[in-house]
Amino acid sequence: MPRSRDEDDELDGDYEALDLEEEEEEDEEEEEERGRGGGGSRRKRGRSNFIDDYAEEDSQEEDDDDEDYGSSRGGKGAASKRKKPSASIFLDREAHQVDDEDEEEEDEAEDDFIVDNGTDLPDERGDRRYERRFLPRDENDEDVEDLERRIQERFSSRHHEEYDEEATEVEQQALLPSVRDPKLWMVKCAIGREREVAVCLMQKFIDRGADLQIRSVVALDHLKNFIYVEADKEAHVKEAIKGMRNIYANQKILLVPIREMTDVLSVESKAIDLSRDTWVRMKIGTYKGDLAKVVDVDNVRQRVTVKLIPRIDLQALASKLDGREVSKKKAFVPPPRFMNIDEARELHIRVERRRDHMTGDYFENIGGMLFKDGFHYKQVSLKSITVQNVTPTFDELEKFNKPSENGEGDFGGLSTLFANRKKGHFMKGDAVIVIKGDLKNLKGWVEKVDEENVLIRSEVKGLPDPLAVNERELCKYFEPGNHVKVVSGTHEGATGMVVKVDQHVLIILSDTTKEHVRVFADHVVESSEVTTGVTKIGDYELHDLVLLDNLSFGVIIRLENEAFQVLKGVPDRPEVALVKLREIKCKLEKKINVQDRYKNVIAVKDDVRVIEGPSKGKQGPVKHIYKGVLFIYDRHHLEHAGFICAKCTSCIVVGGSRSGANRNGGDSLSRYGNFKAPAPVPSSPGRFQRGRGGGYNNSGGRHGGGRGRGDDSLLGTTVKIRLGPFKGYRGPVVEVKGNSVRVELEMKIVTVDRGAISDNVATTPFRDTSRYSMGSETPMHPSRTPLHPYMTPMRDSGATPIHDGMRTPMRDRAWNPYTPMSPPRDNWEDGNPGSWGTSPQYQPGSPPSRAYEAPTPGSGWASTPGGSYSDAGTPRDHGSAYANAPSPYLPSTPGQPMTPSSASYLPGTPGGQPMTPGTGLDVMSPVIGGDAEAWFMPDILVDIHKAGEDTDVGVIRDVSDGTCKVSLGSSGEGDTIMALPSELEIIPPRKSDRVKIVGGQYRGSTGKLIGIDGSDGIVKIDDNLDVKILDLALLAKFVQP
Amino acid sequence: MGSAPAQIPTSFGHELRACLRCRLVKTYDQFRDAGCENCPFFKMEEDHERIVEVTTPNFNGIISVMDPSRSWAARWLRIGKFAPGCYTLAVSEPLPEEMQHLCQEERVQYVLPKRM
Repeated sequence: MPRSRDEDDELDGDYEALDLEEEEEEDEEEEEERGRGGGGSRRKRGRSNFIDDYAEEDSQEEDDDDEDYGSSRGGKGAASKRKKPSASIFLDREAHQVDDEDEEEEDEAEDDFIVDNGTDLPDERGDRRYERRFLPRDENDEDVEDLERRIQERFSSRHHEEYDEEATEVEQQALLPSVRDPKLWMVKCAIGREREVAVCLMQKFIDRGADLQIRSVVALDHLKNFIYVEADKEAHVKEAIKGMRNIYANQKILLVPIREMTDVLSVESKAIDLSRDTWVRMKIGTYKGDLAKVVDVDNVRQRVTVKLIPRIDLQALASKLDGREVSKKKAFVPPPRFMNIDEARELHIRVERRRDHMTGDYFENIGGMLFKDGFHYKQVSLKSITVQNVTPTFDELEKFNKPSENGEGDFGGLSTLFANRKKGHFMKGDAVIVIKGDLKNLKGWVEKVDEENVLIRSEVKGLPDPLAVNERELCKYFEPGNHVKVVSGTHEGATGMVVKVDQHVLIILSDTTKEHVRVFADHVVESSEVTTGVTKIGDYELHDLVLLDNLSFGVIIRLENEAFQVLKGVPDRPEVALVKLREIKCKLEKKINVQDRYKNVIAVKDDVRVIEGPSKGKQGPVKHIYKGVLFIYDRHHLEHAGFICAKCTSCIVVGGSRSGANRNGGDSLSRYGNFKAPAPVPSSPGRFQRGRGGGYNNSGGRHGGGRGRGDDSLLGTTVKIRLGPFKGYRGPVVEVKGNSVRVELEMKIVTVDRGAISDNVATTPFRDTSRYSMGSETPMHPSRTPLHPYMTPMRDSGATPIHDGMRTPMRDRAWNPYTPMSPPRDNWEDGNPGSWGTSPQYQPGSPPSRAYEAPTPGSGWASTPGGSYSDAGTPRDHGSAYANAPSPYLPSTPGQPMTPSSASYLPGTPGGQPMTPGTGLDVMSPVIGGDAEAWFMPDILVDIHKAGEDTDVGVIRDVSDGTCKVSLGSSGEGDTIMALPSELEIIPPRKSDRVKIVGGQYRGSTGKLIGIDGSDGIVKIDDNLDVKILDLALLAKFVQP
Repeated sequence: MGSAPAQIPTSFGHELRACLRCRLVKTYDQFRDAGCENCPFFKMEEDHERIVEVTTPNFNGIISVMDPSRSWAARWLRIGKFAPGCYTLAVSEPLPEEMQHLCQEERVQYVLPKRM
């Protein structure tokens, strides 16, 4: 022990002596004087201490002299060598020569030379002091103490100066490279061996000494495949790298420009800022890419303890722990799953419960792995994790928090999420909640935002207002019922109402999709903006038929931001495509007809039923037809906005030929029924039958057509089709083109071959048919426009016969003025066979029927001013009045003479009277039928009488399977309920109300109630502006959906 | 070439550590056996726990300085007055305050690492 202490003292002394020598040397002005002084002082010391030492020095000096002569150097060289008499190694001599050369070249090097000289002295002095320790002389101790004091004083001042110089930035600027400094050369080496090459070159320098004239070698971590060598000349670099194994000597050596040399040596040293509860991601191993949470950091060993969701194969683990060999090597990574200790025990895996000494927590130890609460606690190296830009996704966070952690843990876990917030996250007025610190769970709103501090105001008394809270400790706060908008994340742009708040996760009911959406509270702002379902983008609307770029077609069933969902025209399997606006070529609006399975004509708006294919049994109106494909709208179909795609040959028209056959039977029965009534005039029954026959032609569909050039002999005449799909139909010719003629069949115009028609049809049925066809319309607003072209030909065709026809035929029609009213009523009877069955029972009631007809003449007179008919219409009205009441007719005679044609009616009076009994029957039947059908109309206002509940008002929205869907409220704005027909009652409309006809011939039509006369209503029908007198019981208040 | 060079690292992997004061790079074992040539006052060869305090495995880049007095790179990196050897260009951590006080007592200059 005493020896070691002495050695320490000697070391300190040597260190201080070093500075002493430097100081003395600096004071010398001339080298010669310096040399002499040094030598003199050394000799004196030698003489005073040891004669033997002095003798040794003399011998060394002699050796130096010999070298001096050999090298042919001046006195300066000799002087420098005398200072280092102990230097006798050849290598040292070579170094000295190099040093001498440096002195000649640069002044700056001289200082370094002095420093080097100083470092040699400690060895010499060390030897002397070692010997001195064996001589017990007080005189030596005194000398040492004096030296120490002087050296210490000078040393302290020197270091103080040095510290100041190097600490300044200006000093660094002075060190910038210049043309006189060594250069940097870029050399290529094996990748991954940069450090090794740098160290090997260092070793080579130590081994070869002065031959290697490079100054330094730099290996950068971020620059692979290259090292930098500092040298004065390129030749020095080549000499140094010659023979090195990992250097590509044949590659070109690149010189680094002087101004870029500093960049080479500027490296970033990022301090890893890891702390507890930081989210990180694994970079290597089984958990590569997994999210992990830091629970402990060991900066010394550069390791962290992280918490992970385990990826462990319990079966394989059990086999391994039991010593069994794994039968097959699996290369798959187990999915993340929480550790179940009980499950592990069932597999006979040993589980030890241990306590961590430092944290005091208990862990389950399984095969050397630590688990707690299902998580795997794993120690990993700092280099195995990624800290930058770790943003957990919602799903990852949800999984991580699945086991029941305490609320505090959740806050801690989410706190790093807030660190990634953008600026301006909080705005004045935001409702916030404190999630960290002493004010945890305090609610308030933002008063001001100042950098990272947020001033909030709360309702809690006793606290200073406003409070300054760091924004990392705040989170936005919402209550259920708030209407919000998502401003970032997956659901950006969505709006909805908050239905649930689960800490920092909100569940929102989306306004557009009506689905529950989960979002972070931080991604949401309160907003009254509502994203309504857009119905139009560009030129296209919802439910349009469009042609796509690839020449496929489909119906738009949904509109999204900048995109459409299109149900493509692929029968037998629904195919939905998401297309952009630019991918749509055009809208298809062509009106075409196709044939169903039984060759019936299908047109847009026809009701069809699918009888084969995946949509079998579906039924609804046709919305679009294109290339033999029907797009049917079935309101009960929940997919694709209710649209179904089917082939035309897989469908049948509802109310088609089969229904026609039934109707035919009905007509026969009706005829027999009528035969029971008195029929004194034989010709009357014949005409009546003809009128009913017109009903067959009601085949639905409405198309307007223009009149073209044609054969005048056929134009306007009524013809009968003898061949083809329209065989048996009758109608006027509206156009003649070559060998084809276009015939108007009720609401439809068809083209048939000229040879397929016959033109010997009597004109009387035409008149009846015309009246009937107008009444058979079942209009919807969209169909109003196409009807207008039809109206014109109707009037023209009607007027032409009148003007061109013979007077005698007109007189014949005049003799049956009431007949036009009969066909509609017959139609009612046909539509409701039940009412026909009751017809005989009403025979005893004939007199009351007659009394019912008494007001009819008055109605006829009242309708004349409001009528929109052409002049031809007037005679019919008058005729009607005449037919119903001969007696009232007489008093009105003075008015009749004003119309020239009215004079011709006088001779026909007796013919009209015999019709009265039959008309009475018809009048009674429709009333009952109308009531029976009144319940099945959507969009009418009804009273709801539910058992045990008050009477309520609502609007029928849907009717199906004997149940009505009713929206409460006089406008249908309330809730929707289901009700039975027995619980509903139609509310009678009032004057000027919008009405819907819920029974009879005009069922389904809408119009305006312009007047009420007793139990009758005068209705102006919307689609044709016709004015009709209808039973009030058949009218219901219409509520526009 | 006046002074003896420092020890040369014997491996190039994760055993390397850098002195936090002078940035000399050696293996842990070399520090334990011989201490730091530029910082003898740390006495690493006597107190092995101190090696962990004053050295770090977290460093960036290696520069082998053959002739410190004549190397521009060594001057620029402020290692021009140290012994020839292998140094790192930058360390991530500063010297612990306790050790900084020791440097002051020993009148040795210490420069904090530059933080980018």
